[in-house]
Amino acid sequence: MMLEKTKDIARQILEEKKAGGVFGLMKNEWNIIQPHLFEDPAELANLVLEPKWLLAKLAMRILRSSPENYKLAVICRGCDERALIELIKRNQIEKENLLTVGIACSQEQAAICLCERPYPEKLDAGEKVSGVDPFQDERVQKFLTGNDKERMERWADMLKRCIKCYGCRNACPICICDPCKLEDDVWVQRGVVPTETVTFHLIRAFHLSDTCVACGACQEACPVNIPLLYLQLSMRKTLREKYGYEAGIDPETRSPVLSSVFEKPDTDREYPAWINSLGEKDES
Amino acid sequence: MNQPRILIFACKWCGFIGADAAGKKRTSLPSQFRIIPVECASLVETDAILRALAGGIDGIAVLGCHIGGCRYNNANHTAIKRLELLQDLLDTTGIGRSRLLLSFGTAHEDYQFEEIIKNFFDELILLPPLDPWLSPFGVIS
Repeated sequence: MMLEKTKDIARQILEEKKAGGVFGLMKNEWNIIQPHLFEDPAELANLVLEPKWLLAKLAMRILRSSPENYKLAVICRGCDERALIELIKRNQIEKENLLTVGIACSQEQAAICLCERPYPEKLDAGEKVSGVDPFQDERVQKFLTGNDKERMERWADMLKRCIKCYGCRNACPICICDPCKLEDDVWVQRGVVPTETVTFHLIRAFHLSDTCVACGACQEACPVNIPLLYLQLSMRKTLREKYGYEAGIDPETRSPVLSSVFEKPDTDREYPAWINSLGEKDES
Repeated sequence: MNQPRILIFACKWCGFIGADAAGKKRTSLPSQFRIIPVECASLVETDAILRALAGGIDGIAVLGCHIGGCRYNNANHTAIKRLELLQDLLDTTGIGRSRLLLSFGTAHEDYQFEEIIKNFFDELILLPPLDPWLSPFGVIS
């Protein structure tokens, strides 16, 4: 039913020429699912919605290599939509050139991804299901509880497995920098394993601190099953609790990390009045 | 037992002046620290902090100006927010937020600088070493 509705919306978009193409997943003649740019309404019979596949980065590439006023509609889940909004914020996509067809995730999918928002803001097909609190999950608690020493050993064990395939970086819909710091010998030695765990993984994790949309693509791409998403959870929690900010919700809201504390005061900090060198207080 | 090693990034308008004054007064300080003067605390890259931790530095201090007293258009505000987020990441991975000391506006006098460094040193001595995390490519000397 959700599939039929999505097909209808996509057909409408193509027939009314609201967009040059609809980007989604297609089952090809060998029954293999692949991303596909639907430009002909007849092709839409092969449209599928499963499995979860982050299309944001590919959509960005399509828009970049297209003529300036080419409009693209993307069939996206909650995480995909958030990633697209983050790319808009980073000036990688023109907001006017992007249409989204939002589809909701199932409860099972939300539980697998530990997703707090398994639905897009602009929902077109499907029913909203409630999100999962990742901090209540056993798998997460294993990595985020305990004292420093236990956590350090647990994470060291995990990160030592890394074979440095750069899959986490390549799969991430928001990792778009060129050149990338992880390819710079100053920070991480290239072509050498074992990986320098602290620099490689923590630099990667911190670069996404206020941008991570918790899609879990890094973790799914990892061939040695390092739970990379769990690195981001506490930073996302801090941003939400302290500044009321969540990445990818609204293209207009800038990250609080970029603004001064006067613009966006946080709840628990005290601001001492500035005293100039003569001992006079500046009240402004 | 090995003495903890500290790397200090000091803003040249506050922290570094405090450090300079502490030196001029010939204050007795723990010897295992190095200061890197920076133009502003906001120029301290988080990556550099992580690189230093990976290279075997036990504690990093970032000293900047008062909130509201930045010489560069409130740049220290972004620094404090960013570095507090980094503390969260360090906490998650078990390195611990106490290894990154943030001090904004409290190190611009010699006695304040002395107090901060001594306290930080005492705190770091109690922490377990960072061995499992050490870079396989050697330690910064």
